[in-house]
Amino acid sequence: MKGKRTKLLGIMVLLVCVGIAQARIKLVALPERAATVIRLDNPMATLIEEERVLTLQKGLNKVDFSWKGVSIDADSIRLRALDHPDDKVTLLSVSYPPNEAALVWDISSDGDYAETARISYLLSNIDRLITYKAVADKPETYVDLKSYLVLRNFSGEDFDKARVLLDYGEAFEQGIDHEETKQMLFLKADKVPITKVWTFDAAKLPWDPEKLENKNVGIPVSYRIVNEAKSGLGKFALWGGKARLFQDDGHESTIFLGEDVTGLVPVGEKTELYIGDSRDIVVTQRKMKDNQINLQKNNDERVILYDTDEIITAKIENFKDSQAVLTMIQHIPGQWDMEKCNMKYERKDAGTLEFEIKLPARTEAGPAVKELEMHYHRRNVRP
Amino acid sequence: MKRIILALLIITAITGVVWAKVDLVTLPSRDTVQLTIYNSADMTLVRESRALTLKDGKNKLQFSWANTLIDPTSLEMLPKASADKIDIADLTYPPRVRNLGLWNIESGVSGKVPVEITYLTSGLSWRAFYMGTLTEDEKTMRLQGYVRVTNNSGEDYENAQTRLIVGKVHILDQIAELARRQYPYERPGEVPVPPTARPARQMLEEKKEMVDYAFTAYRGMASRPKEIKKEGLSEYFLYTIEGTETITTGWSKRLQSFDVDEVPVVNLYKYEQERYGDPVVRFLSFKNDKEHKLGETPIPGGMLKVYRSADDKGHLSYTGQSSFKYIPVDEDVELNLGAVGDVVVEPTLMDYETENYRFDQKRNISGWDEVRKFKIEVKNTRDITVKVEIQRNFPTQYWKLETNQDFEKVDLDTVKFTLVLEPRSKQAFEYTLTTYHGVRQEDSMRSRER
Repeated sequence: MKGKRTKLLGIMVLLVCVGIAQARIKLVALPERAATVIRLDNPMATLIEEERVLTLQKGLNKVDFSWKGVSIDADSIRLRALDHPDDKVTLLSVSYPPNEAALVWDISSDGDYAETARISYLLSNIDRLITYKAVADKPETYVDLKSYLVLRNFSGEDFDKARVLLDYGEAFEQGIDHEETKQMLFLKADKVPITKVWTFDAAKLPWDPEKLENKNVGIPVSYRIVNEAKSGLGKFALWGGKARLFQDDGHESTIFLGEDVTGLVPVGEKTELYIGDSRDIVVTQRKMKDNQINLQKNNDERVILYDTDEIITAKIENFKDSQAVLTMIQHIPGQWDMEKCNMKYERKDAGTLEFEIKLPARTEAGPAVKELEMHYHRRNVRP
Repeated sequence: MKRIILALLIITAITGVVWAKVDLVTLPSRDTVQLTIYNSADMTLVRESRALTLKDGKNKLQFSWANTLIDPTSLEMLPKASADKIDIADLTYPPRVRNLGLWNIESGVSGKVPVEITYLTSGLSWRAFYMGTLTEDEKTMRLQGYVRVTNNSGEDYENAQTRLIVGKVHILDQIAELARRQYPYERPGEVPVPPTARPARQMLEEKKEMVDYAFTAYRGMASRPKEIKKEGLSEYFLYTIEGTETITTGWSKRLQSFDVDEVPVVNLYKYEQERYGDPVVRFLSFKNDKEHKLGETPIPGGMLKVYRSADDKGHLSYTGQSSFKYIPVDEDVELNLGAVGDVVVEPTLMDYETENYRFDQKRNISGWDEVRKFKIEVKNTRDITVKVEIQRNFPTQYWKLETNQDFEKVDLDTVKFTLVLEPRSKQAFEYTLTTYHGVRQEDSMRSRER
């Protein structure tokens, strides 16, 4: 602070002679802020801890703490005397003057002390963000990952040399003024393995590209990264933030692949970053049969229960000159059983089937083609 | 116009007085610049190299970009030499100053250091478009592909290596919006405001200035058009334009990306009442493969204007235009040239019957069959051979089709007939469609099982 914005945060020590309240008020000191810590370990709120030397006199001291133009949660303000234990320097009460961003501490001291006190409070509009930048190698097997810490201070307060603490890693010294934003590198991990994932979800993407009149159906492509020691990570949870992905183009330059937001990735967990759409894998899905069978009727001969006989086919073409593994997600609602399916699947939940379809690269003869055929029955359907 | 300014400030670090003396030491210009322009989003990756003269100790590098459309959060600087001795401590966006970043660099070396600065900007764009010229017999087509690069970024990029990305990139924020933010990362707790109605172009036009040169990169090499090198990267294709380009803000430029003659084409006509209505729609069909003299790379989506040679003197007639999607290698291309009158498909209902009525206990109708006899007449009034595809959609999945004509089942309620017609010829065929309704649906399946 160093006098730059003293109007914002002021602290005054007022000495009150015992017994003659209000009679003789003396301004004792206007202490400077000493060590300041900005704790950013809780993403919901930022805790400021600052130390100030209070010149206390024997008896009752009134310490006035006021803030103007900054947003401090008044209920969060705490004061702790660091030099003398509780029975020598005692905080008696805290009072709030009317219509003022201020409070007054009543402190009882058993002697004249230059007491170091730690004041802590929750300060609004100062926080941190995390952003990621990853550069993939040309064959897309790993990324060089960098993470940047972005400090944003719009609190109304200038911090000149504060110790900044995150929830892991060493504290570091950093000054930051009001309305200033600072971006610094805080994690660098080279050669983090990635898995490239293509996903076709039949509930989200159009089935028949031919019916779209000149629009490509992009198959979403993601990079999967696991936060584990094997990946050169795994020391701490990766905070959520925006990730921008680039790729080495083999000409000592890069191209921008895409960007996504990752949530918090705890140690051992994975994140999938959606970079863009592949238009070189084409899925054409069609319903070839949908008949009602095993009809049950009431006395009026109205159908009250039936099963279905359904066939879905999906033609998957890989026009890429490299192989790919497509994750295909199919949905069958309600009660069902599979009569015949020409590909293996994993049942992810009652109504979701997941296929891992390995697609070879395109050859001289044309695209690599695989065809899925699911013949299933939905059971006990009511009209 | 030069709007991006790089200034190097050297701080003489007098102990205890950090900001005591700031010297402006050098103003290095761009040595090289590379533009990678996207077309699925308004975004360009700019990579420039500059040589900084650093002093041993603390250096401050100021980068400002007033009146441009740079995304400040994308700024990055990397030393290309002595990387282990140069620590880029932080990038500060100082308070109450817009469009300015300050790098704090701790250098262990003194002297010239090449650095690379990258950032994303808005305002540069490109698109692909095509010209097709059919031969008189319409059996082959000359296909010319072009790209048009436009610079509305507010910055002149001189002698820039220009690269274009074909592909659909996932982005969260529009670069133009990021560029217009008052604070690069916004204020804490702030919900990003959607972009204002003021488009980038308009903003830039407000300070339009006359530029007396636009594309000067052709100096000394005008003997042939530039080539565009194409290569695949991840899910995208990278087009690199030979040499460098100078693209002045406000200008755009057309470059030829390929020129292939005698691409065999099929004159395909489609009829599907539910989709196109009564007229037949003309398509030009070919394949992006070697057989069709293509197939080296995918073809980016764009608009194709098709002409036809009208005579042997090189006169042309305009046939139509079609926008088409991105076409991977080996995929079929079908270009919709619109409705025509010279190929006609006429389906006529020749007979209609209902039969096989079923009744429930109360003598209400519970099931029946509908039998429709259709005659399809196809006329080719053109003097070339054409292929005609006729799709018929049925109102139910319970049906039976009897015909002498070959057909393909497309899905549960659609079939397709394909015919090839000689010049100025007619063909006709008939089919009988039986659809099953009510309890007759069950009967029809039972009979099929048998």
